[in-house]
Formats: sequence, C-alpha cells, structure tokens
Amino acid sequence: MLKLKRQGVMKKITIIVLIIIGCTTAFVSCDSKRLPGKIYMPDMAYSRAYESYALRDSTKFTMDISKLGGNMIFYNNMSVQGTLKRGELFPYTLPNDSVGYAMSASVKNPINSMTKNQMAETQRLFNINCAICHGDKGVGNGPISTGGYVGGVANLTQPAYIAMADGTMFHSIHYGKGVMGSYASQLTKQQRWMIVKYIRTLQPKADTTTGTAAKDTSAIVKK
Amino acid sequence: MNRQSKFIYRFLASLLFLNIISNSSFAADGEALFKANCSNCHKPDQDYTGPALKGAVARQPNAEWIYKWMKNPAGMIAADPYAKNLYDKWKPTVMTAFGQLKKEEVDAILKYANDYVAPVAKGPVGGEQPDGENNSLLFGILTLALAIIAFILLQVNSNLRKLTDEKEGVLRGEPVPFYRNKTYLMTAVFLLFGMGGYLTINAAMGLGRSKHYQPQQPIYYSHKVHAGINQINCLYCHGGAQDSKQGSIPSVNVCMNCHMAIKEYKGEQIVREDGSQVNGTAEIQKLYSYTGWNPEKKEYNPDNNKDGIPDGAHPIEWIRIHNLPDHVYFNHSQHIKVGKQNCQTCHGNIQEMPEVYQFSDLSMGWCINCHRESKVDFYNKDDSTGNKFYSIYEKFHTDIKNHKLDSVTVEKIGGTECQKCHY
Repeated sequence: MLKLKRQGVMKKITIIVLIIIGCTTAFVSCDSKRLPGKIYMPDMAYSRAYESYALRDSTKFTMDISKLGGNMIFYNNMSVQGTLKRGELFPYTLPNDSVGYAMSASVKNPINSMTKNQMAETQRLFNINCAICHGDKGVGNGPISTGGYVGGVANLTQPAYIAMADGTMFHSIHYGKGVMGSYASQLTKQQRWMIVKYIRTLQPKADTTTGTAAKDTSAIVKK
Repeated sequence: MNRQSKFIYRFLASLLFLNIISNSSFAADGEALFKANCSNCHKPDQDYTGPALKGAVARQPNAEWIYKWMKNPAGMIAADPYAKNLYDKWKPTVMTAFGQLKKEEVDAILKYANDYVAPVAKGPVGGEQPDGENNSLLFGILTLALAIIAFILLQVNSNLRKLTDEKEGVLRGEPVPFYRNKTYLMTAVFLLFGMGGYLTINAAMGLGRSKHYQPQQPIYYSHKVHAGINQINCLYCHGGAQDSKQGSIPSVNVCMNCHMAIKEYKGEQIVREDGSQVNGTAEIQKLYSYTGWNPEKKEYNPDNNKDGIPDGAHPIEWIRIHNLPDHVYFNHSQHIKVGKQNCQTCHGNIQEMPEVYQFSDLSMGWCINCHRESKVDFYNKDDSTGNKFYSIYEKFHTDIKNHKLDSVTVEKIGGTECQKCHY
C-alpha cells in the first residue's frame, strides 16, 4: 500500500519535472531575435490602416485617375500638376544638359541675406549633407573623400568655384554633377539656395590676388 | 651652469629650432599644395580620377607643357595632340584649370609626387579587446556550484548524525529520503514558484515588445560601416526624421549618391554573429540590381516602359523593426527638431551595430520615464535663448525667477498626460 502510494508520488514528481523542463525549453527556444515575438492583440499592434512604406493593394488602389470607379480607389501621393505648396519657391525648369548648365549662370539666388539663425541652420544642413565629401570647411576633405572612396571631390574654395555663379552651383546640387548625385530629394529648393549662400561664406574673398586661395586652403590642411 | 655654456646651449637650441622650421616649411610646401589642390583627383603613385602624378614630368612632350596645361586644360585638349590623348583616356572628366598656381608651386607639387614613397601599411595594433564578459553566466555557475556543495554538506551532516546516533544508541526511526523531506520540498516549491513567477511575468511583459528584434534584411547594410567608420550623419539618409512623423527610409537614389562611385567594399572584413563572412561587394551589387544601375556602363538601364523607373529596378523591401501600436502617436520631428534628442537615445548606438536591432522596449513606462527626466529647451527671457514657444508659460517663468524651479521637464508641460500620445 505504502509502496504503491510512494510510486504515485514519484510519478507526480516526474511529471512536474518534465513540465518544468518543457516550459523552460519553450521559453528559451521562442526567444529568437530574428522573430518579432508574440503579441496580445495583433489587430491593435499592427495597423489596419495603410502605414507609410506599406505595400499598397494594387487591386484596390490606383494611381491612374482614368481607372477610378467601381472598386478602385484613386490615390496618388504626388501634388497636383501646376500647384505649389504655400511658401514654396518656383520650380527649377532648366533641363539637365549642357545647355541648361550654361543657362543656369543667369539664374539669380532668391536669397539675398540670411539671419544668424538661418546661417546656423544652413551650416547644420551643410555639415549633414555636404561635409561628408566636401568637408566642413568646403576644401574637399570630408571622410568619404579622404577615405579614398570617391575621387574628384571639389575643393569649393578654389578660384573656379569662387567664380562659379550661384545659379550654376544650384544647378549642380539640383541635378548632380560628375560623381555627385542629385540632392533634390534631400534638400528643399529653399535649403539648396541657402547652402549656395553658405558656401560663399566658406570661400576666401574673390577680390584678393590669385594664389591666395591656394595658400588659405593649404593653411587649413596643415592644421 | 656658467653663463658661457648657457649661451652656447641657447645658440644651439635656436639653431636647431630654425633648422626644423625651415626644413619642414620647404618640405611641406609641395605636399600641402598637393593636398589642397590635387589630392581629390590625383594620387602621387596610383591612377585615381586622374592619372598618377609620379613621372608626369618624364611623360610630358616638352618641358613647358605642364604649365600650359595647368592654365587651360580645356583649350589644350582642343589644340594639343598629347592633351587630346589624355582626355580620351580619362574622359568625361576634364581637369579644373589651376591658373592661380605659380611655376615654382607646380614644380613643388610634381617634386613631391616624384619623391613620394607610399607609407608602409601598419599592421593591426594589438588584439582587439574582448567585449565585457557576460558576468551573469559566471554568477550562475558559481551559485549552482555553491548549491551543490551545500546539498552535499547537508547529506554528509545527516549521515554523520546517523553514525553518531547509532554509536550512542539513540533511536530516531526510519530516516526520511530527501525527496520526502518537508524542508527540502518546501524550499524547492518556493524556489520553483519564485523562478516560475519571475519568468512568467517577464515573458508576459515582453509580449508585444520586440526588444532585441534583429530581422535579416534583404541587403546586409551595416550601420557600423556607414554611420560609424565613415561618419555619415544619421540625417543624411534619414532626413525625414527632422521634418516628418516618420523616421523615413532613404530611397535608393540617396544610396547611389555615394555608390555610383563606390563599387566595392574594401574595408575590414565583416563577420556575422554566427562567424560567416559578409561579401560587402556582393551586397553593393544587390543595391545595383534594385536600382537598375549598370556599373560597367555607369548609367541606369534604359526606361523602356516609360514609367520613369529604369528597367529591372524594384523597391527594396526592408523589414520593419520598430513598431508602435496604432493607438500611440509618435512624431520623429517633434523629438529631433524640437526636443533636440539624439537618435541614439532611443535607437541605441546604431553607429556600432553591424545589423540593427531594437534597442529600447518602446514600452509606455520607458516613454514616460524619459518624459519625466528630459528637460525642455525652456525660453530664457533674459538673453532670449531657447524655444520661444515656452515664453507663454508664465507660472514657470515666475517660479524660475523666484528660484523655486531650476529647469522645466517635459512632464511639467503636460508630457505625461494620456491624450498627449493617445488620441
């Protein structure tokens, strides 16, 4: 009788131990960092609405207005043709070719002067977007350039760039030039013009005698 | 030291000083000029965007050629056959004119290039320091060892007692086996209860928070290589974070700003956590297949469908790591532009992550905690610094004036109100 009871207890202990081992393995094995893990309420955690970058269902949404009607919903995230955002500068219409490049010199910079705050903001933008190649002083010694990844980075303090018109500089930022890509997607038109203005402050004054520019930059490099 | 020897020492020291100064300035001249004007396109001993400058003097057709070339490269290409040949080899790049450089300066640059000896590559200095060892494992082993020792000692103790009992003739009845000993059983039950409770509660809290989630992305994009080693600012690619609600994933044209020129990975070998090696160049090739870029022809594939997208180009389907439920509103620009927070506050040391994982648990307690601790850029009426929006908080301004308050946290301006984020 006692022996039987003892056997029963042993059986229970074995079962409990097995359950514990099972639970532990389950806990450990579920904890894979390649999976996002479990959630209480998926319909609350994952949006039912279309989130940014989510794939749009092409059987329901169309970007072609002529297909509108029936089950189709017209959705186009581009602004309407011929409209401008409030405060937005006029679009830059010169084409991306040699003719447009030559004509760009006649385009005036719409920004005449910048306040201290605007200047600080432009410097921040320049350091984020331009300084990785052109360097924070504009002499072409950014980490990508000195690292030897991209060759032909312009030293913006050289006479050729001092003489370059604001419009041509804008044209190059807008469309890209040589190995430089277009920055139209990263900077607004306003910001691009502001950066052109900021580059002027990095350059030595154009009216000094030739050769000064080279000496100035060599002083910076020596530092 | 007598006066005479002092004078001699001074004289010698000044001579040495002068010597150093004059030497370095003469030697540096060509080097500094080269670095300031030429190094972006030329290397002394290797072809780069332009030809190697070593031996340029020996190659040129006549002694005056290089000076003419420096003044007006475009004009030379049209007139001079040697210049035309050079252009055909290196086109479409035309060298910038360097009219401002004097003849002596050009000579100094060419002399520097001719005398240039490539520095010997330094081997890695010392082994890499191992990461901070995981102490919890060590402590666990120690605890286990101590527990086993304690258990053995207890058994020894009971056996010894049995022996002395037998010797002294004391009868204590049949000894209870350890698995029926009530003290042992109770201890085990308590331990199990504690451990089970801890694990269960932890697991329950972890539900819906994917901390440490590190999915395998379609391209092995290393933030360590880009943001860490090459110091690209976070906002260069994720510029939307300062202007919009979304952190914004860069479109591939942003990648191509650099990768039009960077075709292969030449950095330190990247190794995955399981020890397998990452072929960086193959990963860049993947990018080209997504963008429809032809690296041989250096142009995008033709757009035959006329949809503005090069043939074969298709979006990269990155896997989202950070997800907030729909009932929480979070705005990146509010935190980065207005709150002036660093990306790393929430995303951890991204610049040291080869593969990105979720650093914070993104739980509400975590949000609230930061809102309690972070100070806002409060407006200072005296020197008009700070965010002018906060000039309307009259009470805080008087409190600060009366030294009742030294700073204003996000909580004070309502940053822990429910409807700030849940609406």
